Amino acid sequence: MLTRIAGGRVIDPANGRDGVGDVWMRDGTIIDPPQAARADVTYDAAGKIVMAGAIDIHSHIAGWNVNTARLLLPEYHAAAARRPTEMPLAKGGWSSFEIGCRYAAMGFTTVVEPAVSPHYALHAHLELADIPIIDKATLTVLGNDDYLLGLLQAKESDAAIEDYVAWTLSMSRALGVKVVNAGGAMAFKENIRAFSFDDLVPSYGLSSRRIVKALQHAVKALGVPHPLHVHCNNLGLAGNVETALATIAAAEGLPLHLAHLQFYGYGKEGERGFSSAAAPLAAAVNAAPSVTVDVGQVMFGPTVTISSDVLRQFNARDQARPKKWLILDGEANGAGIVPYDYRRNNFYNVVQWAVGLELFLLIADPWRVFFTTDHPNGAPFTTYPEIFALLMSRDLRAQWLAELPSAAVAMTTLPAIAREYSLVEIATMTRAAPAKLLGLTHRGHLAPGAVGDIAVYENDKDRAKMFRAAALVFKDGELVVRDGTITHCRWGRALTVEPERDRAVDRRMKAYYEGRYGLSDEFIKVPEHALGRPEPFERVPCVS
Amino acid sequence: MAHAWVAGKAAALDTAIAEAAKLLAASRHPLIAGLGTDVAGARAAIALAKRTGAVIDHMNSEALFRELDVMRSSGVMLTTPLEVRVRADTLLLAGPELGEMPELRQRLFEGPRQTGADIGVERRIFWLCPGRAVADPRFGGTTAEIIGKERSDLPALLATLRARIAGRPIGRARVSSSTLDRVAAALKAARFGVAIWSPAALDALTIEMLCGMVDDLNATTRFTGLSLCPADNAVGVLQTCGWTTGLPMRTGFGRGFPEHDPWLSDSRRLVESRETDCVVWISAYRAAAPEWREAPSTIALTGRDASFPVSPLVHIEVGRPGVDHPGVQHLPLTGTLTAIEATQPSDTISVAGAIARIASALPGVGERPC
Repeated sequence: MLTRIAGGRVIDPANGRDGVGDVWMRDGTIIDPPQAARADVTYDAAGKIVMAGAIDIHSHIAGWNVNTARLLLPEYHAAAARRPTEMPLAKGGWSSFEIGCRYAAMGFTTVVEPAVSPHYALHAHLELADIPIIDKATLTVLGNDDYLLGLLQAKESDAAIEDYVAWTLSMSRALGVKVVNAGGAMAFKENIRAFSFDDLVPSYGLSSRRIVKALQHAVKALGVPHPLHVHCNNLGLAGNVETALATIAAAEGLPLHLAHLQFYGYGKEGERGFSSAAAPLAAAVNAAPSVTVDVGQVMFGPTVTISSDVLRQFNARDQARPKKWLILDGEANGAGIVPYDYRRNNFYNVVQWAVGLELFLLIADPWRVFFTTDHPNGAPFTTYPEIFALLMSRDLRAQWLAELPSAAVAMTTLPAIAREYSLVEIATMTRAAPAKLLGLTHRGHLAPGAVGDIAVYENDKDRAKMFRAAALVFKDGELVVRDGTITHCRWGRALTVEPERDRAVDRRMKAYYEGRYGLSDEFIKVPEHALGRPEPFERVPCVS
Repeated sequence: MAHAWVAGKAAALDTAIAEAAKLLAASRHPLIAGLGTDVAGARAAIALAKRTGAVIDHMNSEALFRELDVMRSSGVMLTTPLEVRVRADTLLLAGPELGEMPELRQRLFEGPRQTGADIGVERRIFWLCPGRAVADPRFGGTTAEIIGKERSDLPALLATLRARIAGRPIGRARVSSSTLDRVAAALKAARFGVAIWSPAALDALTIEMLCGMVDDLNATTRFTGLSLCPADNAVGVLQTCGWTTGLPMRTGFGRGFPEHDPWLSDSRRLVESRETDCVVWISAYRAAAPEWREAPSTIALTGRDASFPVSPLVHIEVGRPGVDHPGVQHLPLTGTLTAIEATQPSDTISVAGAIARIASALPGVGERPC
């Protein structure tokens, strides 16, 4: 089938395109405009904006942690909330089905669940398989597991570490590797309550830095396109900008991705000892071209924090709003679920909100700063349209700032920032750049050969309205959304990488699991047939 | 040999499916209960409930909700069975029904501990109020010290123990204060302690007391908890309900969207009050029959040799996940959803397969892609 999206303003920064024109698809793939063919279907996009489907690199949408949050907070479900409009998570879509529909309605076509413990990979993929329309991927979490720490302690070869990382990626069907408070969860099991980049895990004598560096090198050596995805130590603490700066310096010119940087943008200035350190942090990111970051923007309202940083969540449990929480000491990282309410009249929450926007606006290169709220930790993903609007309008920011506590605003540089994101920069940050970061060469752009994932928006001056409900969304060439409403439901795939490994590691791991747990390592497998969908996976090639 | 029955008489599977669809189509308030099935079966059952406006519940909800109620009204610290095996140096078993699962017992408490931090530390086990029929107190090389006896003494014992851990005075207790102080000191000296309980044997307040005590112990050391899962894949079904509906079981779809109410949607209450007029009873892991004596029209999907107090109108024999067909279920040993292969593959229809066929025989809109 030949499809033509006619006469829209096509914004495709990956290919340097920004102008009125057509986009053509044959079945599920974008093609050059054919010479003398008639389209089977033509969609009029005159006056509208045409972009590739958006890609979210960090959103907690599936897995044991997310599902446990659902069970912890039945009142956050739309049906249980008396006033659903006041419950962002109710609006946020609490079931797998709603997640897919709401992402698609905003023009998102690929979303990465960034924290899957290898032993829970099947669970995460079962949930992903039930998220309709969009494609998905997971990052597998390493860095607090006894096996890796044992390899490092024994000073095993780089090759041994690479084989183990490759084995884990393959077993858990992941697209990349994340490390969450490297060594921190292990140290917590040994009764350590604060853990910084150069602190040592007592029983292993290893620093967080050592673990991060080992994984960074392994991921690069294996040719996994997405660099190591780092959740730093000391999340959320006053003065933690030092940790982020140390971690950025430790990249040492090699690719490294720092997740939800907003949560590390805090200084200790002011009467309350809590201030924005976004400016020096953004400067450090600007000066480190091998480093990429995503923001983890905070928006006001009730939400729930879902994290594999069990140490941080344990320390934060007294701040739970409402007062309930769950902490899991897992086989490696574990998890913490702590509900939270970001309030407009709370000094700390306002500083956090400002830090996120400062980072977006002070980091110069939209190819290196990614659009996230760390859903649902900073805010539910359904708040994205409001955040786009804030980034694109200084006046809108000024309106917000005027209504927020001035003592908090004074601890930030936000009022002085004039920058406004252009549509091209938005398209870069949410389409072109994430595809490049994840190694998805056929996504995030509109050149011939690309997957037919396309979002068409009304060019509404109200940018929040524009991005909340796409005029048209195509997934693999099929129309799935019209005017923000799902018109056609389909099942997507999970993207994976499978780097080469020395198969001897398979035998080593089998023996390790049998010795340690008295179980075959089979129990962590994610067999295709278990997911109940045809072709649930799509392999992304590694780079050589 | 027959695999399906209608009104007690052997029937072709097609006939039983058609009859089941007829009963469901005629029902004004259907209930899907039992739910002893794998993830695929639970997914199919939930989809059927959405389609027919039914309520979903699990046969072991009672125990599960005691646990959930504590979780969703306070704070809980938990760990996994595998962590208990490799890391726990101090175990606090609370209440009865903990020694009755030989495989779990062997894997959890008697396996080798390998973690660097624990090498050389001898494991200690305390068992509070194991009940009158004391199970074997020996766990590998360690014998559990039994404190208190009757199950009914547990709440008071936990309260006094928690008070002593926090250094607060207590009045007269059934257990001597020197014993309480000794146990309190041992728990505080744990390096990685784990409290273990079975929600089937404790009430919600006792579980909450125990979880509160675990949190208190974390003021100075590391302590966490492990709740032993009810059978029949209760946790797997709970998880499946969570991501498909956003809510646990005891959720109804009568108004077109999922509504969770543990009282309103309790299967037993729905049957006894005669609010439901059609029950789909699912028990694929065994041939469990419902506990109610009188029931409305029932469509039973069970393992072989089920015997019912009231014979179901439609009865279809279904395969057992992990025996007759592969599947995914929550394994108590790993604490995760795990894919299981069929050990004796057979043609017996799975719960998911039977429900899909019933759904496609229902009048109205057929299966949609999502």
